[in-house]
Amino acid sequence: MNVIAPRGCCGLGGALVVWCSAALAGQAQPPTFSAKVEAVRVDALVTDRGQPVLGLKPSDFEVFDNGVPQQVDLVSYEQVPLNVVLALDMSGSVAGDRLDHLRAAGGTLLSALKKDDQAALVTFSHVVTLAARLTTDVATVRDALGRAVGVGSTALADGAYAGLIVGESDVGRALLIVFSDGLDTVSWLSPEIVIETAKRSDVVVYGVAVGGGKPEFLRELASLTGGRLFEVDRTANLSAIFLEVLQEFRQRYLLSYTPRGVARDGWHRLEVKVRRRATVKARPGYLAGF
Amino acid sequence: MRRAVFAVFVVLAGPVWALGQPNDDRVTRVEQWLKAVMRHEPGTTDDAAQRVASWSASDIRRLWIDANAIAQLMRDPRRSGFQVKAERQPATQTVRYSTLQLMRMKALACAASGNLSSPACVEIRAASSLDPDLVRLSALAAASRLGGDDNFVLRRGALLHADVAMLMPGRIEPMTGGALDGPRQVRIHTSDGMPLDLGEVAPHWEVARMLLDFVRPAGAANPAPGLDDMVRLWYRSTAAWMQAREQHDTDHLDRARAIFPNDADILFLSACQHEVYAGAPVQSALRAMPVPTGMRSEVVPARAELQQAETLFRRALAANPAMGEARLRYGRVLLLLDRPADAANDLRKALEMVTEDELRYYGELFLGGAETARRNFEAAREAYGRAVRLYSEAQSPRIALSELARRLGDRGGAWREMQPIFERPAIDAEPDEPWWRYFVVQARNADALLEALRRPFRNEP
Repeated sequence: MNVIAPRGCCGLGGALVVWCSAALAGQAQPPTFSAKVEAVRVDALVTDRGQPVLGLKPSDFEVFDNGVPQQVDLVSYEQVPLNVVLALDMSGSVAGDRLDHLRAAGGTLLSALKKDDQAALVTFSHVVTLAARLTTDVATVRDALGRAVGVGSTALADGAYAGLIVGESDVGRALLIVFSDGLDTVSWLSPEIVIETAKRSDVVVYGVAVGGGKPEFLRELASLTGGRLFEVDRTANLSAIFLEVLQEFRQRYLLSYTPRGVARDGWHRLEVKVRRRATVKARPGYLAGF
Repeated sequence: MRRAVFAVFVVLAGPVWALGQPNDDRVTRVEQWLKAVMRHEPGTTDDAAQRVASWSASDIRRLWIDANAIAQLMRDPRRSGFQVKAERQPATQTVRYSTLQLMRMKALACAASGNLSSPACVEIRAASSLDPDLVRLSALAAASRLGGDDNFVLRRGALLHADVAMLMPGRIEPMTGGALDGPRQVRIHTSDGMPLDLGEVAPHWEVARMLLDFVRPAGAANPAPGLDDMVRLWYRSTAAWMQAREQHDTDHLDRARAIFPNDADILFLSACQHEVYAGAPVQSALRAMPVPTGMRSEVVPARAELQQAETLFRRALAANPAMGEARLRYGRVLLLLDRPADAANDLRKALEMVTEDELRYYGELFLGGAETARRNFEAAREAYGRAVRLYSEAQSPRIALSELARRLGDRGGAWREMQPIFERPAIDAEPDEPWWRYFVVQARNADALLEALRRPFRNEP
């Protein structure tokens, strides 16, 4: 759940938008956090037979918070810049062709960003590194990606957590793409704790898992944030996957409502519907309080 | 990249061995082996070690049988039938040598025991059948016996095979089907939680353990390895070496505990082994690699491994209540077993006992986890803060502090706590983070223990 303060400068206005100046200015200003007005943001993908449904208004949506219907205040589509955080596994098993493919895929995604979109790069082996902070200067991110090398063990949970924190450090719609070709071997945080963090966050996570392992953590992380997991055997097609993720994310609506008639703390089960024939994909809930 | 090797142990239904009739080549190999035992300088990869290392897994399996027979003959030179039973085998098997082979085996045993003048050895004219090397071996063994230790070949044989296993690891051989002569050791190699390959290795550790089972301390009428200090040190040092190199072998410590059931160090390492087995690298690798039909892994699901670790840490602490490191790890295991209040209690006690910064760091880190689980967030924050002060570059307590802030709804705090990590240049040297070596740090004294083990056996004639 986001706890956000109004500044009203990025299209959605009202309760949703904070840190706009930081978002637009790249990394020039440190993030600010406040807790005055509470609102919930939900990214929702609406499709009909696989095709995105466009042009929906707030009145087209029904949102239920723990079964209680809510008043949708705002709906945005392609208006809020994206904050795309790449959290990429740079453990030893990624060295070689996989790293080349990963760099190429990252580069392709960066090229597809719009002017006001921001990107950041988190790399993780056993060491977690913020290789590039959120910035509209994609060349910086591209350079950082070019310098990354594959070495060490895999701290997937720690890396994913860092990605979440970077993702919610700035206003905008946060997309976190977590790539890993291995299983977690050395994280301090348990997968369960990172899942709990994700439940408190409105960052949408897409996972890309390579190899024969069972990526249960990434599957759950993606599912609980309304994202999706891609499981692939090889990395040769990684660029297409990254582009598909970005394209799908752009097609999502960003809904906002201020919860009414529900207890503040605990798990809030979310249901998002539209008043027409369509499929809605959104996070299944959020966690408030501790 | 974290690499680990751990053994998968074979349990097959029905008779496993179909002991073939020993041939003359096997007896010749025993002779070569005895000479290698005599010549090997412990801790080196000398010619003797290289020769033994060149033998295949099946050669070593058969050597296990024949060396076992030699050890039995050393203790009873009139014996003619041999019962052998390997670890984990359900029943004993009988080894039968031809008359000529038996005569030769007896002569070799006479040399190995340094007992050429005993009636049984004189009866078969053992001395006249030996070449100068074996006569020299007999003289060395006799000198050792006269010096009070009747275990020359047994101790040196164990040192030789341990050295081959540690210093000259052979390649993994493809698994062979069907019945086998001698014990089989199957291993999985893993890297970063993923299995790389599975196959058979020469059972040098099994040979070494078998030889030490025959050790007869001074004054004892029968083999009694549990009363022998060298055997105790051998198990402590080799088990520590295995854990330091992440080459895990359940049987090794199982045997050690059978011989030394109340040894605090061996109980401690045993508990650590199960703690390691419960960890993500081992659990992940085993989940990812199906064990072949007819075999089963000794590693069980994490919670069951933790329960075994808990029991063994308790036994270690009962044997030595002053063992702070055992209490610290015990506390972590309790935390993982969802007993945070007990964990916090033991971790606080451990922190009063340990003095090394690294151990104190672990204690504070785990205490932070325990207090978080108890929802004592301020106590958790203080513990993580103390961990940061011990290792300012370490990543884990920073992440833990960030997660704690995020859990409390403080997104700004969560971001700020990550700054030391986020501000570290990507090309910087790797930060000093003890958590990354937690699964091997318990064996940090392995090299010193091995040196203490080998020292008395060096520079002998």
